[in-house]
Amino acid sequence: MAEISLTINSKQVKGGEGLTILEICKANGVDLPTLCHYDGLTDVAACRLCLVEIEGERRPMPACTYPARDGLVVQTHTERLEKYRRLILELMFTEKNHLCAQCVASGECELQALAYRYQMDNLRYPLSWPSLPVDSVNKYIVVDHNRCILCGRCIRACDEFAGIHTLDFGYRGWRDKVVADLGQPLGESSCISCGACFQVCPTGAIFSKVSAYKGRAPECEQVMSVCPICGIGCEIRAYIKDNRVVKIDSPDLTKPRGLLCNRGRFISVQPVARRVLTPLQRKNGKLESCALSEALELVSARLRETKARHGSSSIAGVVSSQLNNESVRAFKDFLAGTVGSKQLDSLDGDHFRLVKQALQLSRTKKGLKGVEISSLEELLDADCIFVAGANPLETHPVAGSYIVRAVRRNGANLIVFDSTENGFPYQATLWLHPDKGKEALALKALIKVIMDGWLAGESAGTKGLAASLKDIDPADVCKHTGLEYHDLNAAASMLGGGKKCIIVYGQGILQYKEPELVSLLFDLATVCEGKQRTSSTLWLKPGGNSIGLWEMGVANEGEFSISTLSRNKAIKALYLLLGDAQVEVPELAARPEGVEFFVVQTSFMSAIVSQADVVLPSPLWTEVSATYVTLDGVSKHVTRLVRPPEGIRADWELINEIDRRFKK
Amino acid sequence: MAKVKVATVWLEACSGCHMSFLDIDEAIVELVRAVEFSRSPITDIKEFLPVDVGIVEGSVGNTEEEEVLKELRANCKILMAWGDCACFGGVCGMRSTFDKEDVLRRAYIEAESNYDGKIPCPPGVPALLEQVKPVNHVVKVDCYVPGCPPDAETILYALKELLEGRIPVLPSDMMRFD
Repeated sequence: MAEISLTINSKQVKGGEGLTILEICKANGVDLPTLCHYDGLTDVAACRLCLVEIEGERRPMPACTYPARDGLVVQTHTERLEKYRRLILELMFTEKNHLCAQCVASGECELQALAYRYQMDNLRYPLSWPSLPVDSVNKYIVVDHNRCILCGRCIRACDEFAGIHTLDFGYRGWRDKVVADLGQPLGESSCISCGACFQVCPTGAIFSKVSAYKGRAPECEQVMSVCPICGIGCEIRAYIKDNRVVKIDSPDLTKPRGLLCNRGRFISVQPVARRVLTPLQRKNGKLESCALSEALELVSARLRETKARHGSSSIAGVVSSQLNNESVRAFKDFLAGTVGSKQLDSLDGDHFRLVKQALQLSRTKKGLKGVEISSLEELLDADCIFVAGANPLETHPVAGSYIVRAVRRNGANLIVFDSTENGFPYQATLWLHPDKGKEALALKALIKVIMDGWLAGESAGTKGLAASLKDIDPADVCKHTGLEYHDLNAAASMLGGGKKCIIVYGQGILQYKEPELVSLLFDLATVCEGKQRTSSTLWLKPGGNSIGLWEMGVANEGEFSISTLSRNKAIKALYLLLGDAQVEVPELAARPEGVEFFVVQTSFMSAIVSQADVVLPSPLWTEVSATYVTLDGVSKHVTRLVRPPEGIRADWELINEIDRRFKK
Repeated sequence: MAKVKVATVWLEACSGCHMSFLDIDEAIVELVRAVEFSRSPITDIKEFLPVDVGIVEGSVGNTEEEEVLKELRANCKILMAWGDCACFGGVCGMRSTFDKEDVLRRAYIEAESNYDGKIPCPPGVPALLEQVKPVNHVVKVDCYVPGCPPDAETILYALKELLEGRIPVLPSDMMRFD
């Protein structure tokens, strides 16, 4: 960037070519008022507050869009400009219904702060008192048009940060307002409730239902942490007041994982229902609360007893992949070390073993290499994304947003391959809907078309694969799978023509528990790789700490699996460590036969809890500091946000305590 | 020195600004040494006499309020507006976003607590204006103390400024709209 020199308020300042006057002012400590500008978003000069006088220009110009040039002479705070600024503020206040006394944003509103700064103690213009709607259909977000100054920040954030572009301006002139899609209520639109819009809103026009009136930012303590809910590992900033999480937002929306999703922003702010707050033990068939020491003593004694009577292998442990590393480590050390049992699995262990098998299948049988994405950010510059049996916008919205951004910014092709779901309804380039159960056949045909047609001769080293597909006739497959041949061919051209393909998969493919089917995705990734072409896969793992658990060897292939639990008569004692996971465990819909002692450690009352002999209370993730591993393998430290309720201790503390008592 | 004569009125308002004024607590002892209250809800004097300072709380929403405000203006040298309603229209102005007839029907007929309701009409009661106005849209106002209500300290600051012979303009850090 070439250096330029210009004069601002009679002072010589330096800056880089290509910067705007606003950027140079900021870098030099000149405090220009702004409302529509937001760091990281495209400037549009909508609010006109940053108007400056530039020598040679007939009229004041907006500093946020004016490119700085060498030798410019700029005045930023002349009497005329300051008069205009106060005038603009008065016009904003008279245009809509700005009633600070009953507004959720009062005290942290940028419009109000500027009115204070310009000592706006009266309004010289007639008040419009327009009759404007409030849209509160969305589960989390309210749009109150009465307070909107039409700065367009939310629209640009929706477009540029989230990539979704649900919001835009609708209507013209004085009817102009922010609309979702074609004027739908936000809750019925393509909105993914990521919340970027209300984080950037300078007024109270868009706000979060769950945080409203719980406390203003200046009254709160701010804690930086990481969200462990889905495994993407977004950085968060939590606002704490009276030991309560009032609000969670993004410390920097411009960062790759700075977007946050509806779960990250809202779930931990909402009140928690049906919490387990004391240890419970079954007395005369009913669960009754008891002292912690009593519960711990009972658990260790009964486990010791079970071991003595049936051997250590009669004790099994199952852990949820929402749990942090520390608790899982303690659990494994206790079960494998102290108890001496190898009967350990995670709730998603079957998926882990399935994908591992599929990788081996893809590698050994056909001489191919498995390719896994190195970082989630790779999605952003992919030019072909193949989403199989996954709906990232629902399950991992930030990953979904990356995919959408790749489509909108790079023109990436997005192919949705799913028998049931209609993922990315607004963004996909092509949908492939094979009949349910025919996914494997459809994938084989797709691979065949790519190998024979689009990349004939390029897919070297895939002879084994070619051989395994020699009986596949794509045209014939289409007749049996419900696919159209031209769709298959189009998908093949996108995958074969892509320079960087990423294959994203999830639950929809894994549910069949067929390693062969999953391995075809790896095969697909392999054939898409070639000269100057890369391809990789991304598995949207089910838990917030799935990798952390698997790396610890919790789900290794052994004699025990959660799915065979109901048939496994050798298990006499079962310890289920759920933590704050709110999951249904179909395998445990009924208490497994043969289990004489059942411990559940959890934060919430549930159907599973009602079958337990002892229930131990778990804290929520917000109540302990711990480490997690993201779905692309990065270790993250999650900082405690609030104190747990009286008497609730970290999961690992309880397990260590049981361990100590067990050894006695 | 002769005492400064002050008259106060509340128009379309909740009386919160006057209450906040009374929150100056013991400072009122000092204040009444320099100030004499004429017509005011606090003194309960009803008639307008010429005063030095007129103070108005609330916005203008009906014909009576318009008349009272004009009379106050005619009888004072300096007019000060207290609170968001007087300065901007405020919470009392919210009804302006609806049609006047709808507001009356909702309040006097449809409201769940009404039984056999009727809309009161002039000359028995003053007529509502189409829209609520801040006081400076009806008469000339010399100084403003916004806030809902303004803090007692802010009110005291403004009064002291007047006693010192200055027209108060609140500094930015004393401004409050809530």
